Amino acid sequence: MMANPLNIVTVLIASSLVLGAADGPVPAAMSVVPAGIHRPLFTSPDELKEVPVKSFRLDRFPVTNGEFLEFVRAHPRWQRSQVKRLFADEHYLQHWTGDLELGATTATNQPVIWVSWFAAKAFAAAQGKRLPSVAEWEYAAAAGPTRVDGENDPLFQRALRHWYATPSPESLSRVGAGLANCFGIYDLHGLLWEWTADFNTATVTGDARGDTGLERQLFCGAGSVNAKDTANFPAFMRYGFRSSLKAAYTVHNLGFRCAQDLEVKQTSASAAPAKLSSIAAATP
Amino acid sequence: MKNFFNLLATAALMLSASAAEPAKPEKELPPCCQKELEPGKPLTDGSLYQLETKWTSDVGREIQLRVLRGKPQVVVMFFARCEFACPLLLHDLKQIEAALPEKLRDEVGFVLITFDTQRDTVEALHAFREAQQLSPKRWTLLRGQSDDVRELAALLGINYKQDARGQFAHSNLVTILNGDGEIAQQIRGLNNAPDKAVKVLQQLAEK
Repeated sequence: MMANPLNIVTVLIASSLVLGAADGPVPAAMSVVPAGIHRPLFTSPDELKEVPVKSFRLDRFPVTNGEFLEFVRAHPRWQRSQVKRLFADEHYLQHWTGDLELGATTATNQPVIWVSWFAAKAFAAAQGKRLPSVAEWEYAAAAGPTRVDGENDPLFQRALRHWYATPSPESLSRVGAGLANCFGIYDLHGLLWEWTADFNTATVTGDARGDTGLERQLFCGAGSVNAKDTANFPAFMRYGFRSSLKAAYTVHNLGFRCAQDLEVKQTSASAAPAKLSSIAAATP
Repeated sequence: MKNFFNLLATAALMLSASAAEPAKPEKELPPCCQKELEPGKPLTDGSLYQLETKWTSDVGREIQLRVLRGKPQVVVMFFARCEFACPLLLHDLKQIEAALPEKLRDEVGFVLITFDTQRDTVEALHAFREAQQLSPKRWTLLRGQSDDVRELAALLGINYKQDARGQFAHSNLVTILNGDGEIAQQIRGLNNAPDKAVKVLQQLAEK
């Protein structure tokens, strides 16, 4: 599958226009990710080696502090002092200075962090969206800057390994500072980890590269799970990270972005620029 | 409205009780009143009964989890067609039930919630109850929407995934909820002796 270079150039131009037009990126814009195949890292003999992914919309940027602030303003039960412990641990939004104050060191265009899965899910629902599935996220994230099959792009792979080997900086950069992938989506790698709707599907815990770490006693059917590609270390890290999470956890470099089914009509507020989404849809 | 007055009266009682004798009015309420209190008494921050999702029992009754309030519940997520782990999990639960002291047995509930939103219909769950001879007095069998099942699993810390054959790989985890719906104890793995669970349930029932 060859990406049409013209399409990519157009996407890049279009996105730089969007970026240049306002102060920072247009926050609500989504890209259409075309239908494709996700190849899970771990599969048991009874699992599909190739999971079909239907075409869907994905936010082009992670959700920012600014957007999350608007959300908690409208939904007080998700404010720091109001949230129930069951749905977010005690570090929830701890980088803000108050329920509705970001403070001097936190910018509106940085990705929101210290949010639980429940909070992310509630945010998405409030926008008429949802969290992406692991399959959707991994499929979108496998695309490199120039081609859908990023795993066959050595430069992209090298850049990924570099990021996954570098600890998170004290303060995260603003969203959209890196390079978009060929769907026009930013920051799937290189900025932070992201929640997925079904993060709790992992039935292997820890850094289980072979089968030594499998918890056969704890998981029904996990004993025969095997990895397809033991060289894909970034995928192992994501897998291990997800399996270490509980839904109420909040983490200093874990945020999220939203997805949406294609059938859902977008409101004008959340609609991606028409031109851009049609370009992304045309990208193979 | 009646509930509201009951609540006011109870609140007044509780206040006066706590003035005289702090911190124990709640457990002295007879079971009937705990039921009455259910819509009014605020749920604790750690209570799973804060979930507003709807579930359907194996007799087709639509409920929220908070109807389970008032007694400790032993909760397991499972699916009826499971070939390996769930029969063992169920065996563990039945052992707990059998090992409970006679007077405690009806003070504890057992809840089975299915992962299999497709095939575990109301009828399938009911057939499972019959086949396993699960007492209607103690056992609740529930099914829900897949998003809600995913959310409940996340709250309980249960991971699961469906394979191409329709089987589910899943955590084997027994959760004991206290009367308020907070997680009191979780027991991982299979073929656990019932002692630990029974001890926890006894402690909860004495509270």
